[in-house]
Amino acid sequence: MTYVHAKHDAPTTFWSKYIVSYDHKVIAKQFLWYGIFFLGVGGLMALLIRWTLAFPGQPFPVIGHMLFPHTDGVVPPDTYAMLFSLHGTIMIFYAITPILIGAFGNYCIPLMIGARDMAFPLLNMLSFHFAALSGLILLASLFLPLGGAAAGWTSYPTLSTLIGSPGLGQTFWCLAIFVLGISSTMGAINYITTIISFRAPGMGYFDMPLTIWGLWLTAILNAIFIPVLGAGVLLLLFDRLFGTTFFLAGAAATSGTGDPILFQHVFWIFGHPEVYILILPAWGIVSDLLSFFARKPAFGYKATALSMTAVTVLSTLVYGHHMFTTQMSPLLTQTFMTLTMTISIPSAVFFANWLGTIWRGSIRFDSPMLFALGVVFVFGLGGLTGLYLGTVTTDLYLHDTYFVVGHFHYTMAASVLLGGFAATYFWFPKMFGRMMNETWAKVHFWLTMIGLNGVFFGMMVVGWGGMHRRLYNPFVYEFMEKLIPMNTFITWSAILMGIGQLPFVYNFIHSMFYGEKASENPWQVGTLEWTLPSPPIHYNFEEIPVVKCGPHEFGNPNLNNGRDFQYQTEELVKGPQA
Amino acid sequence: MMFDLSRLMMNPWKMNAGLLDAFYPPKDISTNGHLIDFLFYYTTAMNIFFFTLVCLGLFGFSYLYHHKRHPKPYYTHGNKKKQILITTLIGLAVFFGIDATITSISNQDLVNTFWKFPTEEEKPVKVEVLAQQWMWTFRHPGEDGEFNTADDILVNHDLHLPVNRKIEFRITSKDVIHSFYLPNTRLKVDAIPGRVTRMWVELTEPGVYDIACAEMCGTHHYLMKGRLIVHSEEDYLAWKAEASRIAKYENDTDNPEFYWGWKWGNN
Ligand SMILES: [Cu+2]
Ligand SMILES: [Cu+2]
Repeated sequence: MTYVHAKHDAPTTFWSKYIVSYDHKVIAKQFLWYGIFFLGVGGLMALLIRWTLAFPGQPFPVIGHMLFPHTDGVVPPDTYAMLFSLHGTIMIFYAITPILIGAFGNYCIPLMIGARDMAFPLLNMLSFHFAALSGLILLASLFLPLGGAAAGWTSYPTLSTLIGSPGLGQTFWCLAIFVLGISSTMGAINYITTIISFRAPGMGYFDMPLTIWGLWLTAILNAIFIPVLGAGVLLLLFDRLFGTTFFLAGAAATSGTGDPILFQHVFWIFGHPEVYILILPAWGIVSDLLSFFARKPAFGYKATALSMTAVTVLSTLVYGHHMFTTQMSPLLTQTFMTLTMTISIPSAVFFANWLGTIWRGSIRFDSPMLFALGVVFVFGLGGLTGLYLGTVTTDLYLHDTYFVVGHFHYTMAASVLLGGFAATYFWFPKMFGRMMNETWAKVHFWLTMIGLNGVFFGMMVVGWGGMHRRLYNPFVYEFMEKLIPMNTFITWSAILMGIGQLPFVYNFIHSMFYGEKASENPWQVGTLEWTLPSPPIHYNFEEIPVVKCGPHEFGNPNLNNGRDFQYQTEELVKGPQA
Repeated sequence: MMFDLSRLMMNPWKMNAGLLDAFYPPKDISTNGHLIDFLFYYTTAMNIFFFTLVCLGLFGFSYLYHHKRHPKPYYTHGNKKKQILITTLIGLAVFFGIDATITSISNQDLVNTFWKFPTEEEKPVKVEVLAQQWMWTFRHPGEDGEFNTADDILVNHDLHLPVNRKIEFRITSKDVIHSFYLPNTRLKVDAIPGRVTRMWVELTEPGVYDIACAEMCGTHHYLMKGRLIVHSEEDYLAWKAEASRIAKYENDTDNPEFYWGWKWGNN
C-alpha cells in the first residue's frame, strides 16, 4: 500500500524555512551548499598537495605566506600529512556523499516516486543537522595546536593511536566521523522506507527511474555498513581516550595486546561497499540521463537494475583485496581475488546497456548528457584499471603506489564528480526555477575532462613507475627522479582542473538569480518531477499521481500527441492493432 | 623567499628525464619480477582492447546518432532475446578474456613462486627486518647461524645481500605499520607490530638500489629510505666477514633492546 503525507501550511519565517526545515527540497539544498563548500576546501587541499609534489620547497603562490607563515609559504611535512589525510576524508564524506546522496537523494526520491516528502521529515532534518555538527568538528580540528588528523583517510592504527598521533586531531576526526555516521544512518533509513512505502500508486519497483534504484541500493549499503565504520572508530576512540588496546600490539604496546589488522578488517568491510555507496547514485543517474538525452528507452532496463543489485551484493564480499600486503592466509587471499573478479560480469552488463542505450538513439548533447557520457568514459578507465589491483601479484607491486591513487580517483572522484555535475545541470532548473548557461557548462565540461584525465592518468603512470603514496618529497628516492616531469605535468593538469571549476561556480550562482526562467519540463522528460512546476510547490503534488508507464518512454512510433515522450502518468501508447 | 618563477616554468620536456620516462617501471633485478611485469602487460593489452571497444561505441554512436544526423531514434527496450544474448556474451567475454585469465595466472604465480618459500636445503640467506619510525634495521645471523644471539650483525638503513641466492625476509615493526618495499623486485609486504610477515627474493644484478617504506607511517614517512646493496658472491662473503668482526666489539649486548630479534624456527 502507498502512504501519503497530510499537508501542512508552508513555513514563513527565515528560520523555519531554511534552517529547521522539514521540507526535503530545502534539506537537499542545504546538503548541496554544504557539499559544494567542502568540495572547495578539499579541492584547495588537493592543489596544496600537488604543488608540493611538483615544486618541492617552493612557496605556494598567493596564499602560501598567509597559510604557512613559519616556513615562508612552503607546505611543511606535518601539514602535508594532514592535508592528504583530510583531503580524502573531506572529499569522500563531506563533499561527494552530501552532494550525491544528501542533496540529490533528498531532492529526487520524493519527486521521482510521486511523494510529498520523505517518510520521516524530522529525521531528515536531524540528518542534516548532525552532518553540520560533524563538519564543524572536522573544521575545528584544523585549528588545534597540533593540527588535524594526519594518519591518512584510512586512519590505520597504530599510527592513528597515541603511539603515532598524539594531540587531539585524530580524536576529533574519530568524533566527526562517528557523528557523520549517525547522520548517514538516519538518511539511509529514511530513503529506504520512503522508496518502499511512498511510491505513487501504480509504480512498481521496475517502474522506478534508475536514479532511484541507485539511491535505494546506496541507502541499503549505508544502513548496513556505516554502523560497521562507526564501531571501528568508536573502538579507536576508546584506545585513544580510555587506554584500551583493541588495536595495539608489538613493542610499543605497554599493556595487553590487540591487533592493528583488526581495524583494517573492520574499516574495509565498510570501505569497499563505500566505493559503491558513492558510485551507485551516479550509475543510476547516468543510466537515466543517457536514455533521456538519446530520446530512446533505457536499453535492458531490468538487466541494468538487476546487475546494479548484483554489484551491491558482491560488494559486500570482496573487501579483502585492500589487504593483500598484510599477508592474510593464502585461502583468504585467493578467495578475495576470485570474488573481486566476479564483479566484472554485472559491471560489463550494465556498461553494455549504457552503450546499447545510445545506440541508434537521437542524441542531444546538452550539458547533463555531456557529463553523463564523460562518466561512461572515466568509469570505463576506472573499472578496467581496478583489475590490476584485484589480482594479487600485480597488487603486490602496485599496492600503496600512485597507481592505486589514480585508479580510485577515476572511479570515486572522476566518475562520481562528473555524475554529480550531470545531476546538477539536469535538476538545477527544477530546483531553482532557472536554467544554467549552456556555454559555460560546456567550457566547464571540457576543462574538467582534460584536467582530470591528465591528473588521474598521470597518477597511474607514476604509480607504475614505482612512486608510492603519501610522500612529502618523493624525489629523495633515486628511482623516482625520472618521474619529476610527469609529476609536474600532473600538477599543471590539476591546476587546469581547479581553474575549470570557476565557470561552474560562476554559472551556478549567476544562474540562480539571473538565469533564464525554466519551464516546467525543459528537457522534455517523462518522469514525475517534470510534471510539476519549476520549482515545485510546497508538498510537491497537489494530487498524488498515478503511474501508468515506465520512466523511459521515448520515441514510441505510435505516439501522436506531438511529443516524442510520454509522462509516467500516461497510459503506454500501443500500436493500432495491439 | 620570493616565488621562483624559473622553477615553475621549467619545461618538463627539456630535463634529463622526459615525460615518457615515467612509463617505465624501475629496473627489474630479481628472478621473479618479470612474472609481475608480464601480468601487468597482459592485463594492459586486454584493457586496451576492451577500452577501445568502449570508445568505439561511445564516440562512434555519439557521431552516428547525433540528433541532427539521426532524428528518428529506434524504439527498443533492449529486452529482445537477441539483445539480451549479446549483452550476456559481452559480460562473459570480459570475464573470461580478462578476469578468469589473470586470476589463474596470478594464482599460479603465487602458488608456484611467491608463496613457495625457500627450503632449508636451498640454504637461503635469512634476514630479520625491523621497521620503526623512520628507519629500517636488518639483522643477519653471525657465525653461529642463529638469530638473536650476541654475534648477530645489525645494520641500520643498509641491506647487504648476494646475487644468485634465495633470500628470505621475516619482517616486523616496533611502532606503527610500515611496508617493506623493494621497487626493483616488484614486491612489498607490510611490517606489522605484533606480527611477523615474510617475503622472499632472488637477486640477479649487483648494484645499489632503493628500499622504501610504502605504508604511511607518520610525518617523516618519506624519509624512511634504505639502501639495498647487492654484492657478487665473493664480495658478499667479504662484507659478512668484516661485519662479523666489527659486530664482536660493537654489539651492545648488555642492552636488552639489542635482542629485538627472534629464533628463526620453521616458518
Ligand atoms: Cu575495494
Ligand atoms: Cu614507514
